[in-house]
Amino acid sequence: MDIKTIDHLCNLSKLNYTDESKEKVMGEMSAIIELMDTVKEFDVVYDDTKDNNSISYDEVRKDVAKPSFPTEKLLSNTQPSGNCYVVPKMVD
Amino acid sequence: MELKKQTLGSLREMLDTKQISAVELCKEYTDSIKAKNPDVLGYITVTDDEALKNAEKAQEIIDKGEAKALTGIPLAVKDNICTDGIRTTCASKMLENFVPPYDANVIEKLKAENYVLLGKTSMDEFAMGGSTQTSAFAKTRNPFDLTRVPGGSSGGSAAVVSAGIAPAALGSDTGGSIRQPASFCGVTGLKPTYGRVSRYGLVAFASSLDQIGPIANNAVDCGTILNVICGKDSRDATSANKPVEDFNAKVGKDIKGMKIALPKEFFADSTDDEVKSAVLAAAKKYEEMGATLVDCSMKSLKYAVSAYYLVASAEAASNLSRFDGIKYGLRGEGRTFDEMIRDSRTRGFGDEVKRRILLGNYALSSGYYDAYYLKALALKQQIIKEYNEIFENADVILTPTAPTVAYKIGEQETDPVKMYLADICTVTVNIASLPAISVPCGYNADGMPIGMSLVGRKWDEATLIQTADAFEKTFDRRYSEV
Repeated sequence: MDIKTIDHLCNLSKLNYTDESKEKVMGEMSAIIELMDTVKEFDVVYDDTKDNNSISYDEVRKDVAKPSFPTEKLLSNTQPSGNCYVVPKMVD
Repeated sequence: MELKKQTLGSLREMLDTKQISAVELCKEYTDSIKAKNPDVLGYITVTDDEALKNAEKAQEIIDKGEAKALTGIPLAVKDNICTDGIRTTCASKMLENFVPPYDANVIEKLKAENYVLLGKTSMDEFAMGGSTQTSAFAKTRNPFDLTRVPGGSSGGSAAVVSAGIAPAALGSDTGGSIRQPASFCGVTGLKPTYGRVSRYGLVAFASSLDQIGPIANNAVDCGTILNVICGKDSRDATSANKPVEDFNAKVGKDIKGMKIALPKEFFADSTDDEVKSAVLAAAKKYEEMGATLVDCSMKSLKYAVSAYYLVASAEAASNLSRFDGIKYGLRGEGRTFDEMIRDSRTRGFGDEVKRRILLGNYALSSGYYDAYYLKALALKQQIIKEYNEIFENADVILTPTAPTVAYKIGEQETDPVKMYLADICTVTVNIASLPAISVPCGYNADGMPIGMSLVGRKWDEATLIQTADAFEKTFDRRYSEV
């Protein structure tokens, strides 16, 4: 685990770290990856035909429109609302 | 009334025979919360006003003679289960002010019984942790010793039951988050079979592993709650279309002839001697009751923690991508869209959540996917195979719930690897989608509770409750002194 990899992961994860905290997290992630590396020792191959967690699509609900939640309620957790959905102002 | 010793059965009887009203019972608990929660820190939100209103309504139903199993019964709910109009934080700054506009399926079912919600319990942030010390709002303490952790991630739910400030609670279990805190706090916790309970309204951590379940004072109480919350829900495609059965139907039946398997790897050097002794003594007790003990092995156990963390973190990285500061939750600042999202997530998530997102994205990223994520899925298949082989010659499996008892606050939560390895006894159950129950089976020299886990075949919660109950009836259970 090096700074380049941490920077790449931060981009994928949409997270920021200061240079100081990046050093700390690099140490922690190195130790975690070392633990994860143990899976490589086990000689077994994934067989996607044996995955027994598949969903029976016969049981999935029908794609039919139904009354949903009141708009007012759904907007209750958005930023200053009224009857609007306010997104932050962006200047690129 | 000595609240700690009450069971759902005893409360039901008191309510039905009018020894106490639902309002009086509710006040007993809310008063107790006021007195004890400042020490235990089990609740993030206490809903006492709403609880009293619901208790009044419940009493009307009891008076009409129409009470169901949970009518008028006060319960606590983990703060990652959505409750309409009541703040649901996941113990994260990200959702500090989030008020869900709907109820989780389990809450709808509890409301249909006219239960009484006492409050929302603390947890590790987004259910990621085993100590409840990653909570942004209430770092819960163990009622048996306030200087120790309650376990996690459902540490608040286990602690409030142990402290007698709720007779039972709902938790969620992704890698042991119901069973391990139940073990640390000396109470009983049931992780149902994956698909038994709808996850609709449970804030997602790792969708292929998450399952809601009860924490209570005994196995029968867990069965009573599971009877209510289980069942198919069209809004969760992974909930199973299984008939709703009485999970307490086998309670009291003889366990003579039952085969109980003990996988040797769970009793390795990494497990404390006192824990091993207590669980093996429980096995002996089962043998005296007429059960047969079966030696067995789970060779892949030493890889299970890594396989679990790769799968769970990969799913978490995907699930938590919804927290972008736009739709709801904490909103950061920035001149561009990317800056704003990064600032929201950097300020909203705690250290452990960030580590899991980084790990998940690492496992899923180009060049690592085959070596880590697919390998973890292969191990998942291997673990399922090994469980199936054990169940060819056993009815239940007995293991320790955790390798240690509850440790001192600050002792190991800062070491992620140490924390992850402590999940060794519980994660395989989630990987294999099996049901398991943790039951107190002893106390160490410091008086801290030790838990044992009984693992069952898929959909066989009834046998687990029967087996757990048989032991509980012989066990001299202690209560916390808080």
